Amino acid sequence: MLDAMLHARSVAVIGASKGTTETGGAKLGAAALNYLVDHGFEGPIFPVNPRYEELAGRRCYANVRDIEDEVDLALIVLRAGACVEAMEDCAAKGVKVAVVFAAGFAEAGDSALQDRLLAAAKAGGVRLAGPNTNGFINAVDNLVCCTSSVSDINPFPGGDIAFIGQSGALGGSMLGCAMEEGSGFSYSVTTGNEADLGAADYLDYLIDDDRVRVFALLLEGVGDVPKFLAAASKAARMRKPIVVYKVGLSDIGAEACVSHTSALAGSDRVFDAVCRQYGLIRVDDLAELLPTATVFSWVGDKLPRGNRVGIVTASGGISGVAADECHRWGLEIPELDAGTKAKIREFVPSYGSVRNPVDLTQQVRSFASAYQDAARMLLDLDTIDGVILLATMVGEPRASIYGKEFSTVAREASKPVIVGWAGPPGLASKGFPMLQATRTPTFRSARGAVKAMRRLYDYRTFLDRLAREAAE
Amino acid sequence: MNPEGIIKEALERKQKALSEFDSKRLLSLYGVPVTKEELVRTPGDAVKAARALGYPVVMKACGPEITHKTEQGLVEIAIGDDEAVARAFGELTARAGGTTDILVQEMIAGRREVAFGMTRDPLYGPCVTFGLGGIFTEILGDVACRIAPFARADADAMLDEIKGAAILGAVRGMGAVDRAALCDALTGLARLALEHHEVKEIDVNPVIIAEGRPVAVDALVVLG
Repeated sequence: MLDAMLHARSVAVIGASKGTTETGGAKLGAAALNYLVDHGFEGPIFPVNPRYEELAGRRCYANVRDIEDEVDLALIVLRAGACVEAMEDCAAKGVKVAVVFAAGFAEAGDSALQDRLLAAAKAGGVRLAGPNTNGFINAVDNLVCCTSSVSDINPFPGGDIAFIGQSGALGGSMLGCAMEEGSGFSYSVTTGNEADLGAADYLDYLIDDDRVRVFALLLEGVGDVPKFLAAASKAARMRKPIVVYKVGLSDIGAEACVSHTSALAGSDRVFDAVCRQYGLIRVDDLAELLPTATVFSWVGDKLPRGNRVGIVTASGGISGVAADECHRWGLEIPELDAGTKAKIREFVPSYGSVRNPVDLTQQVRSFASAYQDAARMLLDLDTIDGVILLATMVGEPRASIYGKEFSTVAREASKPVIVGWAGPPGLASKGFPMLQATRTPTFRSARGAVKAMRRLYDYRTFLDRLAREAAE
Repeated sequence: MNPEGIIKEALERKQKALSEFDSKRLLSLYGVPVTKEELVRTPGDAVKAARALGYPVVMKACGPEITHKTEQGLVEIAIGDDEAVARAFGELTARAGGTTDILVQEMIAGRREVAFGMTRDPLYGPCVTFGLGGIFTEILGDVACRIAPFARADADAMLDEIKGAAILGAVRGMGAVDRAALCDALTGLARLALEHHEVKEIDVNPVIIAEGRPVAVDALVVLG
């Protein structure tokens, strides 16, 4: 059934329009139609609006019932009061799924209107997405059914993250920021009020899609708990990590959620327990949601077997910071053996450190491949499970050398390599973007890199436990 | 008696909770280690029970309506001889307001206490908790939880999750706590919650660690 939505073969846009609002933005009915057209959806698109004969170079229908061809999916971009009738039309036409964008339903206190909408959908066998949603994006098939201006990014960069979130506005902004940092996604679904289809439905459906490797969830409530937990178990079996940010920690946050998507937030402590039990990677900062999902996407199967990291830097200052962060997040920085230390000493001056963290010092400028060489030596050790490379103030052309070195090491290693780039990316105008382009996990601080490594390790620990339990 | 019997009997009597004695009988059927104890109705039987258990003993007024025993002075501890048992019997009966069952139980000595619990979350269902015992559970909110059912590895992880986890190790001349026994109890509570929906809440506090072995000295099973 979700096939007809996320892989729709034909789409009707009810309330399709053209032109802009008084503030210059596209009207929602125009945005929905234009994004769908502009992103190059290959199936038939049917604008529906009795006021137009033609829109976006296509015949415009007065009513969805007038369309002769089959319609998988209808985007209903009308004000709340007009949606029930449009839903009845969809039912009569035999539309399989309808996305209702308008706000003004249960989230605004009008549960009766939402109930009527749902009843109309159910009576006609139409599955309902929303209401109060910004729609969804299937970036793989250029199916952009979304009114968020994040769709101004065209084409979308490829990726294997599926984003599922209740809030449309936040969803768009999270994805937009992630894309500006080199990340990409395959699907994005904003679920709104979840009158019918909920986050668990989309999660369950997308787990089976081989174009999704990682999930990023922005949840207010989990909706159908048994379904959600079953989906989480399935994701774990398929080794597809789910990174989640959950709103509702505070009482005020929980209240805001209830009025927002009519979802019961549930006790935070219990949700925390659920995350530990089902291996969900919970982030406590919304800004970490997509970056964390991106690390999982880029690291892939190279999850650290243990919590022992090797650190390479050219700054004694950030060595101390990184060591503190490792302590805080429970990562070990093992002592190196004498042989390795001697080998590193060959290109590190006497005032540098050949202990872990390795401090190459600013003399690194005189060596073409000091970072790479040191990183490889650490990666070769059985006592090291992953490597963190830290760069501080680096300008061009040095930054480009680092960019190349870091990405090469990360690509060739069989263990995870994460970069902490504490310097200004603007001055590393070629080197920093190189890291993103090569899908090298990169954070703007030592903490970001350390935390990410810890999360990879936690997930690996969880998977190992599952494997042991399955074997027993 | 089997679990069904204990619960059914209490429900038939329209009890909102099981007495401490019945709570422990039920819990022990699910792997929760509890004190050895006997329910008596006469001073003579109390003395007999105390001798059988071995001095010192603890005596408590016991009934489904009696919940906050300590606050109401319905617990006497460290009772050392026959005479003291008879005296405690009289005092407890009087304080409880007349006839009541009296529980005579072995006195467990240990400096460490933990607590187990079970509540039903409106969304996620039965939720088993583990924390430090006594007043610390409430005051510090230092509690780990899991929703039922959960794996034994989850129970084990709960023990490490509380901030006071170090207390379970070998500390200050005390040996490490029997983790397997704690895990048995936690998974047992989960099983109990899943098998008996009439059990609304469980509070096992304190569980005293005696030479590494956890023993529940008080327990309350709420029905509803």
